[in-house]
Amino acid sequence: MQEQQDRLADLLPEWLPPGAAIVTALALGSTIMLLAGAARAKPNEKSMWTFARPHYLMYEPRIAAWNKSGRTPFDLRLLSLPAMERRMMASFLGNVPSADVLEVERRGVSRTFGGPVDSVGFYDLTDKLKSEGLIEAINTPSFSPWTTRGHIFGLPHDVHPVMLGYRADLVEAAGIDVSKIETWEDFARVMKPLMADNDHDGKPDRFLLNMWETNQDHLEVLLLQAGGGFFDEHERPTLDSAINVHVLATITTWLAGPTRFAADAPNFTAAGNKLKSDGYVVSSFFPDWMGDIWKHEMPSLSGKMKLMPLPAWEKGGRRTSVWGGTMLGIPKTAVRTPKDFDVLWEFCKELYISDQFMRDLYREGGIVTPVKKYWSDPIFDEPNAFFSGQPAGRLYINLAPLVPNRNSSPYNTFAMYRTVDALVKLAEEARATNRYDMPTLESRAKVYLGEAQRQVEDVLKRNVFLTAGGAS
Amino acid sequence: MSAIATTSGVKSGVNGGLSSRVAPWVFLSPFLVCFALFTLYPLVQSVVLSMQTTFGPGATKFVGISNYRALIHDPLFWIALRNTAIYTLGSLLIQLPIALGLALVLETPGLRGRSWIRLLLFSPSMVGVVFAAMMFALIFEKQTGLANQGLHSLLAPFGVDWSLDFGWLQQHVMSALIVASLWMFVGFNMTFFSAALQNVRKDLIEASVVDGAGPIRRFFTVTVPAIRPVAGFVVLMSVIGSFQLFELPFIMFNNTSGPDNRAMTIVLYLFQNGFETGDLGYASAIGWALAIILLACAGFQRLTARGEEASAA
Repeated sequence: MQEQQDRLADLLPEWLPPGAAIVTALALGSTIMLLAGAARAKPNEKSMWTFARPHYLMYEPRIAAWNKSGRTPFDLRLLSLPAMERRMMASFLGNVPSADVLEVERRGVSRTFGGPVDSVGFYDLTDKLKSEGLIEAINTPSFSPWTTRGHIFGLPHDVHPVMLGYRADLVEAAGIDVSKIETWEDFARVMKPLMADNDHDGKPDRFLLNMWETNQDHLEVLLLQAGGGFFDEHERPTLDSAINVHVLATITTWLAGPTRFAADAPNFTAAGNKLKSDGYVVSSFFPDWMGDIWKHEMPSLSGKMKLMPLPAWEKGGRRTSVWGGTMLGIPKTAVRTPKDFDVLWEFCKELYISDQFMRDLYREGGIVTPVKKYWSDPIFDEPNAFFSGQPAGRLYINLAPLVPNRNSSPYNTFAMYRTVDALVKLAEEARATNRYDMPTLESRAKVYLGEAQRQVEDVLKRNVFLTAGGAS
Repeated sequence: MSAIATTSGVKSGVNGGLSSRVAPWVFLSPFLVCFALFTLYPLVQSVVLSMQTTFGPGATKFVGISNYRALIHDPLFWIALRNTAIYTLGSLLIQLPIALGLALVLETPGLRGRSWIRLLLFSPSMVGVVFAAMMFALIFEKQTGLANQGLHSLLAPFGVDWSLDFGWLQQHVMSALIVASLWMFVGFNMTFFSAALQNVRKDLIEASVVDGAGPIRRFFTVTVPAIRPVAGFVVLMSVIGSFQLFELPFIMFNNTSGPDNRAMTIVLYLFQNGFETGDLGYASAIGWALAIILLACAGFQRLTARGEEASAA
């Protein structure tokens, strides 16, 4: 051993000790391997990242066909949503390349809007969308999550109107006619017989609505439906608006007290799915993408579910809301020359705007395209077996133009959680004090939403890249 | 010849002196370079960063001590600090006595299956925190969770109607976190106490028995003083570990700070500011606040230990 070491030392120059030589060799070797790996990547190949497996499976054959057509080839990668958002943020904050095209979910995108508008990591698509007539061609509210300070940074994937999915088997067996339901008050009254205590354990056998104070998505759906929300069109916080106060107070009476009709059956969990399958909750909020998830996770409910428009907050009010959203964006780091942008833009349009995509999107995900000219396509009139033969696509399209705007802000998620905090406090206080009258609930909601509003304002004030109280 | 020998001797002496002065630095240089690059520079940079508002490194603006001032008036920071302190106290006051109790049981002479029991108790600490957090999130579910279902069934024969809607993950967040960390870390801390107990001098114990000391007196007058240095170390490590609590609430509450921020910890708040809203400046200020708290805890522990050493001397 010693002899071998001596022999190695003899081969090396005097200034290079054997240990340092080994470390240097390893460093050089790994560098060469990395460079060789990079060299193996196809020249001019572009990359796209997506976060949703259904999207990945849908895009794969289409990208394979695109690649065969002789155009600039694309490599599609599936990443988990948190991993993708973190890589995206890291690349934007550090101004280093990520993928050439990113398919991103709404909350991830709003985070990228925290700095000066010219430092947003996505390429500004506003002029392109205008010049190609896409602003008019696409349902207007679909742009709102990707817009900040008047600039649009993404091509919308969807509309995501929300309906109420209900257990038609239970509702119809109880002789309930849902066409009599127009408002949430009607909903509670007409559906009430389903909350009977047939097993005499002192508790209702089922609840009418899957909703809980800790669920931020449900709260946002209801706030947006009522015309409330977290920010106005100038990105100023509106957490303590009169509408939000009223919605929070009303929801509290759904969650607790003598008029309670809502219970918690968490989405996307085995526990929640069991409660839904058992009929513990009769209805749930159903954006257009939810049906596909239920179909796969709870196939036993096929033919037992039906859709109805959301009950309105008042007679003649909005019968839908919005939940979720995805866009395609082009990172600035991917655009080194104008030709780069043209290639990427062409690819984005092929993927999102084509009639083939519209059909795939609906057939494979139940999702309605935001491109209005396709809404008359007969595919949307096909009966849907999961929803007891209802033409689900047509029902969603009828509501699509009524979908509310969601004003974007980098602090959207922060504001949403502060509003949830207010609801949690309000509901727990109501349970503790046993006070469920609307004047009391509204006055307490105002206090808690006021606290939430101040917290959001404080965070906004700290951000010197946005003017105090709103975006510049 | 003698001149040559003298010159050669001087030369070798100079070389030897130079080498002996330079050689340590050459050997130390890999560490020093890495330390300067990956510890010292980021440390200094984080002080600079804490005086800026940032949106990533690209967009920065110097704001002086505004971040620290905002931190003092930030209700979320105080909620995070309060939650972390409650969790730390829970860990210290519940976890460590249980760990010591288990170690005492394990060190009982004549105990059969000692190694298996030790393995059984230690094994949860080998489980990844993420996995444990996901498991406990399921266990503490309302209606279907094992905790509520188990308590409902166990207490029913005693006429207690344990609600399946008991909100472990809503109203009782800290209890859920403390129970989860108890399961994960009690065995780990037990091994430290176990090792310390094995080093308690047998002759002192025998002498105390001869002097007529009962088990409780023996424990407080012989065992506790003997294991005090290890206990001090375990307490300090538990405090530092508890103040760095992040993965457990982050996973159990689905990347959020829980209902009404009941699972918000200092590190989670730092993460949310730095990596979700992109304000690395404010996150750095939170990081320095945490560092000061931990330094104070370590200083307090040192002072206490010194005081005890002095009084023992």
